[in-house]
Amino acid sequence: MTYRSSLYRAALRIPPSCIVFVVLIITLWVLRPNMMNPAILGTFARQVVPLGIVVLGQLLVISSRSIDLSAGGVILLVNYLISSGLLSSWPLPSIVLLCLGVGLAVGLINGLLVGKRRASAVIVTLAINIVLIGLVEYLANGKPPGDVPAEFRSLYNLRFWTIPAPVIFWIALAGIMSAFLGTSVFGRFVWSIGSNPASAHFSGVPVERTVVIAHVISGLMSAVAALVQTSSIAVGSVRFGPELVMNSIAATILGGVVFGRPAEVWGPLVGVLCFALLFVVMTTMGVQEPGKLIVQGLIILLAAIFYGLRSKSN
Amino acid sequence: MSKVGQIFFRANSRHGLWTIPLLVAVCCCVGLAASTADFASRQNVLNLFAQAAPLILVSIGQMIVILVKGLDLSVGSVVSLTTGILSLNAPVYVTAPAAMLTAAVVGLLNGVAVTRFRVHPIIATLSIMGIAQGAAMFVRPSAGGTVASEIVALVSGQLFGIYMPVVWTIAAVLTGWKIVHASRFGLHLFAIGGGETAGTFGIAEQRNVLAAYVLSSCFAAAAGIFLAGRIASGDPNIGTQYAVDSITAVALGGTQLAGGIGSLHGTLIGCALLALIANGMNLLNVSAFIQTIVKGAILLLVIALQPRKNIGL
Repeated sequence: MTYRSSLYRAALRIPPSCIVFVVLIITLWVLRPNMMNPAILGTFARQVVPLGIVVLGQLLVISSRSIDLSAGGVILLVNYLISSGLLSSWPLPSIVLLCLGVGLAVGLINGLLVGKRRASAVIVTLAINIVLIGLVEYLANGKPPGDVPAEFRSLYNLRFWTIPAPVIFWIALAGIMSAFLGTSVFGRFVWSIGSNPASAHFSGVPVERTVVIAHVISGLMSAVAALVQTSSIAVGSVRFGPELVMNSIAATILGGVVFGRPAEVWGPLVGVLCFALLFVVMTTMGVQEPGKLIVQGLIILLAAIFYGLRSKSN
Repeated sequence: MSKVGQIFFRANSRHGLWTIPLLVAVCCCVGLAASTADFASRQNVLNLFAQAAPLILVSIGQMIVILVKGLDLSVGSVVSLTTGILSLNAPVYVTAPAAMLTAAVVGLLNGVAVTRFRVHPIIATLSIMGIAQGAAMFVRPSAGGTVASEIVALVSGQLFGIYMPVVWTIAAVLTGWKIVHASRFGLHLFAIGGGETAGTFGIAEQRNVLAAYVLSSCFAAAAGIFLAGRIASGDPNIGTQYAVDSITAVALGGTQLAGGIGSLHGTLIGCALLALIANGMNLLNVSAFIQTIVKGAILLLVIALQPRKNIGL
């Protein structure tokens, strides 16, 4: 009996993203065996790299019981800075540094308002997002931005064997994040806030500072995602703005990180891959936009209900 | 402290900090009336009501949910879905009840997910938002169709000499007042939002929270009926802005997103402020993009002035 119950509990510990991923892979394998080709799947994986990088930051803020809805705005702003030609005379490293600085600044504002001023994270990041979108629209004045420098494009299209460079970059970044969370004191702080903010506070965890730093890292990740997204423009699907933010929250939850649970990197990473696969499967099955929205919503809801039931049974 | 002073500076009262937004709104009115010729005109005031009425409806529902520590992101897609259903080719006595019923079901789904399955409100309503938006796009893939003339008549024209948008606003306010400030249910909403102990005092938390979500959806559906009557057709994207705008209006009115503190008059002031800002900037010919920035900045400022006990959502 104990053996079975421990097996049952082990099964429950698997993030829902893994289950969904396996189901999707099998569906695709049955429906379109010729799609199961590393080169094709790599191309699809490449499309969700910006989402995947945003998720790396999102999982930090979500497990410290906050949320970051400003990724769309950061991506738009960075995208505008690079493609508008304002910086065309700058060398590449300084452009990249400036963009990362934008992400850092936005993350810091979010973090200070949420952590120090104790304002509502939903509203703060939503408002910052609105301001950034308005700013870019005002600067661009309705005109579409110009070209992206060629260096970005060639970096994006680079492949090692059959794996696209952005995918490798993403996995490497996830590995760094995982190692960082596993070994650093900051990682422990996030974990403890994730399990219980009140007891973390009374155990001497600097809750405010940890929340601020989580937001700063999340802003930085948005900027990195923006760089990758900008390189991909005109290649593959352009997914930014509200959709990307909502999907990043969805992938994080699907990956087993919910408000008040310790941060995990690999579950959400599989969650992002699920979104890539879901896109492929639904496109091959001819599901239109409304159907996609409904299926996406159902998957998030079911994943969240799965957690709710589990926390009830504990 | 004088009585007036008490009303103005009771930042931690149950009604939240609504006096500063009121002052800002009054200043906006005075400033606009002085600087633009058209602001104080009869036509502009009617426009203001017509613009604000759907936002007021959605925001009252949103406030009810926020009072119980919730958040309803699905209101926008419920608005769109309602206009979609109303513009279907069917008689009004079929479409209108169908639209209300659909909205109630959406609210019920939100409520069940939040109460029975303990899904976080943001997650639950976010996923339901996706589902409802998908349904709206399924029912009406692009803007169009025709809405029954009865519904158009409900929005345009007059009732006893009062213009219909004003009638709608009054009806919404009276209903909201009854629900939030003049019923046992309203008192329970404040109690549930106020702390963990409501259950121990015999308040059926789950049932009340469920009712709050259903009400929120129904208010959103009423806003959808209003909008469908105004544009006389359906539009799957008409509600997109209402989720953010209603949360903004509720927050502007001093209602705390942590729950338990808020008021109907605060929410009305928040809606009025949002409508005034949009209307005023239009009259002053401010670029639409700058308007967006100003809206976001005001929201940030107001929220930063409302420190709470807890860090987070």
